Amino acid sequence: MTKKFLAMAAAALLASSGLVMAHTIAKKGMKADLVLMPKFLGILVFDQANQGAQEAHRELQNPGKLEFLGPTPENSVAGQIEILTTATTQGQDGIMISNNAGDQIAPAAKAARSKGMTVVTWDSPIPSAEGEQLFIAQVDFNETGTVMADMALNIIGAGGGEFAVLSASPDAANQNAWIAAMKEALKNPKYSAIKLVDVVYGDDQSEKSYNQALALVDKYPNLQLIMAPTTVGIAAAAKAMQDEGLCDKVKTSGLGLPAEMVSYTMNGCAPEFALWSFVDLGYLSYYATYLIATGQIEGIAGETFKAGRMGYYTIEKDPTRAEGLRVLMGPFTVYDQSNVEAASK
Amino acid sequence: MNVWKHLRSWEGFLGLVLLLTIAINAFNSDAFLSIDNQINLFSLSIEKVIIALIMAFIIINAEIDLSVASMMGLSACALGWLVDSGVGMPMALALCLIIGMAGGLFNGFWITFMKLPSLVVTLAMLIGFRGLARVLVEDRSIRVFPKWFEDLGQHPILGPFPLAVLIFFLLLLVAVGVLRFTGFGRYVYVIGINQDMARYSGIHVTRVKLILFTASGIISALAGILFAARLGSVRGDMGLGFELDIITMVLLGGVSIFGGSGSIFGVILSILIVLYLRNGMSLSNITGHLQTGVIGMLLIFSAMVPNLKSYWESLQARSS
Amino acid sequence: MNALQGLRPEKLRELVLLLLIVAVLVFFSSMIENYLNARLFNRVSASVALMAVLAIGQTMVVLTRNIDLSVGSIVGFTAYFVGQQLSQNNEMHPVLAIVMAVGVGALMGGINGVLVAYCRIPSIIVTLGTMALYRTLLVEYSDAQTVLTVNLPRWLLNLPSLNVFSIDRLHLRVMVLGMIAVVVLFQILLRYTSFGRKLYAIGSNPEAARMAGFANQRIVLSAFLLCGALAGLTGFMFLARFGNITVVAGIGFELKSVAAVVVGGVNIFGGSGSVVGAFLGAALIDLLENSLIRWLQISEFWRDALLGLLILTSVATDSVIMKRFQGYWARKQAQAVPETQER
Repeated sequence: MTKKFLAMAAAALLASSGLVMAHTIAKKGMKADLVLMPKFLGILVFDQANQGAQEAHRELQNPGKLEFLGPTPENSVAGQIEILTTATTQGQDGIMISNNAGDQIAPAAKAARSKGMTVVTWDSPIPSAEGEQLFIAQVDFNETGTVMADMALNIIGAGGGEFAVLSASPDAANQNAWIAAMKEALKNPKYSAIKLVDVVYGDDQSEKSYNQALALVDKYPNLQLIMAPTTVGIAAAAKAMQDEGLCDKVKTSGLGLPAEMVSYTMNGCAPEFALWSFVDLGYLSYYATYLIATGQIEGIAGETFKAGRMGYYTIEKDPTRAEGLRVLMGPFTVYDQSNVEAASK
Repeated sequence: MNVWKHLRSWEGFLGLVLLLTIAINAFNSDAFLSIDNQINLFSLSIEKVIIALIMAFIIINAEIDLSVASMMGLSACALGWLVDSGVGMPMALALCLIIGMAGGLFNGFWITFMKLPSLVVTLAMLIGFRGLARVLVEDRSIRVFPKWFEDLGQHPILGPFPLAVLIFFLLLLVAVGVLRFTGFGRYVYVIGINQDMARYSGIHVTRVKLILFTASGIISALAGILFAARLGSVRGDMGLGFELDIITMVLLGGVSIFGGSGSIFGVILSILIVLYLRNGMSLSNITGHLQTGVIGMLLIFSAMVPNLKSYWESLQARSS
Repeated sequence: MNALQGLRPEKLRELVLLLLIVAVLVFFSSMIENYLNARLFNRVSASVALMAVLAIGQTMVVLTRNIDLSVGSIVGFTAYFVGQQLSQNNEMHPVLAIVMAVGVGALMGGINGVLVAYCRIPSIIVTLGTMALYRTLLVEYSDAQTVLTVNLPRWLLNLPSLNVFSIDRLHLRVMVLGMIAVVVLFQILLRYTSFGRKLYAIGSNPEAARMAGFANQRIVLSAFLLCGALAGLTGFMFLARFGNITVVAGIGFELKSVAAVVVGGVNIFGGSGSVVGAFLGAALIDLLENSLIRWLQISEFWRDALLGLLILTSVATDSVIMKRFQGYWARKQAQAVPETQER
């Protein structure tokens, strides 16, 4: 008798907890005017993100509008703040920001939140998480450090050697986070053979990055690898090594677009590099923002939702920042000669 | 006088464009005329607008100061660095203004005593001051300001107006007062028309120029402080590229690049036009590139209009 | 006799610049080990090639008392445009590609020239406007696509590493030779043709030039056409050097070209300066930048601050020396007068 009762109680408990742990499936057709804001316009990866967002927009049959608005590269920081402020004035329901303004956008984001706007970041978060409800992280930022360290070890080999980092702008929050994560990762004795000798900045400009790559080679005669966690930097560094005939001695790696890097990977200048899908990132960001803006989820830790074709994602506390929630999208893809050509189509 | 006629036609044209812009914007978007939007569109560019006031003086004086945006960035970064190092706010604010003054004097020295062209000196300092800002901040973003400072920068303090807008009004009054009603203002014009003639008339050209460039430094530093308050944090690339926007606003306002003519009234009209145009286009979701393109076309077109007018008049004179 | 004495200050300026370059080399070779060698020449010459060509274009315009701030956008647009055309027809002849770049650049420069010369709009206003317009044109035209190295023809990608000849490890690159050709060509143009003399005349006194019967408008237009053409050529070299072209290509080049021109002793108010001077100015700035990057003791972040200061001091030194010598030459000329009068 007691056993039966216990069994029934257990079943009831399980059933009710199953209800509490329900995954939210997005209800289509609800209206939400949303804005997708990249760091700046004119760059392929952000267009890919827009592609993904538009795909999600169509799938969800949102009768509202999806605007793709971004500043010019010369005016990225001030421009992003302006677009966010204007979106608040226009009464948009939500905005998805790939943040290039660091914490400087926090006041505008807080103002937007106080007017009831949904503020979600993707690709690059607001470091202090102030004004931000959720960050859609393409990859775990700490993991980025490990992936870069692994690629470095793989390319340099067990014999050991020196390598340097060619980053974007010294103010870029995501690159800085990745480099910091990599420095942490390098403390592991597994990487004791490789040594990081310098971090230089190419400002995401071809000329600067190219010249910096050459300067690295001149400053550190034993350099074996240039790690560039920026698509502009990696392409410029690879070209520089190719032009100077240094590809045998100094390899290039980092985060790059298959389409831009395919020739360098096939000729050995950049044997290995990594990235994620920006299309998927845009798609996932749209789903998350739509769900929060239409009130279907609250945007708190523990909630799980289904993002269309990508499957289930859970909101969790972001372990790589002091504050903030995130949804972790997915794995890196490491490209080398075996898969880069297919990916570049 | 010919000069006044010229001015009237430029400012009249600007007035028309402004009315047109307001009309189109109001028609396009309900949000345009709201108090919130109006305050916002000024606050977003208030630092540039403040610097435009002193830039008008400098261009009327037949000089130019390309280093203003870099000084703005330097003073903002210096403020962050000082506060981060433990210096109290009042002292840090004072030091930033002193840095502005020193920078302005530095520029002024090379221009007046070494007699180097202001374009050259301020171009070099555009690079130099930005570099100094980077030395202080490196690759960090500094967020250390007390809440009262951020509140002053981001929230209204008198009616709907934030502190920065009030400071702008004050500086506007000073600018108009000095330029139109004091001897110093007249000297600025005269030196702009012909520096040697001014000197022969007994005007202390060196002193006027030193004062102008020092003022430019201090006001740029002040703008930097307001910028830091509005954004809540400082970075090495703050204000990058702002100088071209500021110069565009001043030139669009009818201030001649050759010096000697222009008015604060024209500059205010052009500021309003640029801000309203940008705001109207933003509200219609027109992207940054197109906005810059439109402003570029407006700049060229407005410079053409006075010429067209005199060309038309000369055609008529010839045919009669 | 007068013409010779007119030349003197400029020759002197070029000499001062050469001395400054030597001073920089000496200074840095004491600070950086393994500095003064063939590799430095290779690096700097390849990097100067672009800026020198652009600086020469800017010189044409500055000599006439104008300025062209749109060159950065012209470089970006022509680099992208030619890159895209080459991506679509890999078989296009190299010369055709270069002609296309120069042509498009000249067209854009021509628009500037018409607005400045015929519509009488100050060049700073025109080129501030076209700087924005041409950049917008690039963004709209490119539609956020990148010109990708994988689509570019082999010869273009190999161009930066192609050598005309090599002595041991010192390489003379094809692009560097191209730059030298441009320098020589334009130096001859300015110094020995009537067109060149007219450029100087218009810059030093436009009114007098007009009264002397010069076709001011046509000459100013030509100056802008040449500047645009050289900016287009720079765009082609940019494409060859970097391969991947995005919408931010060339941003900031206008200020760099003005800095090179100014350091090179070209008077910003027009009327004096030389092509060789502009070339040396570009070389000095590039050498400074490349040396500062390689200086281990100085952190990344001190670089720009030092660069600004160095530009200032080199222009000031130049100015001080020139004034000293101008006084000297003026006195010499005054002494020489009685001799000529006797004849």
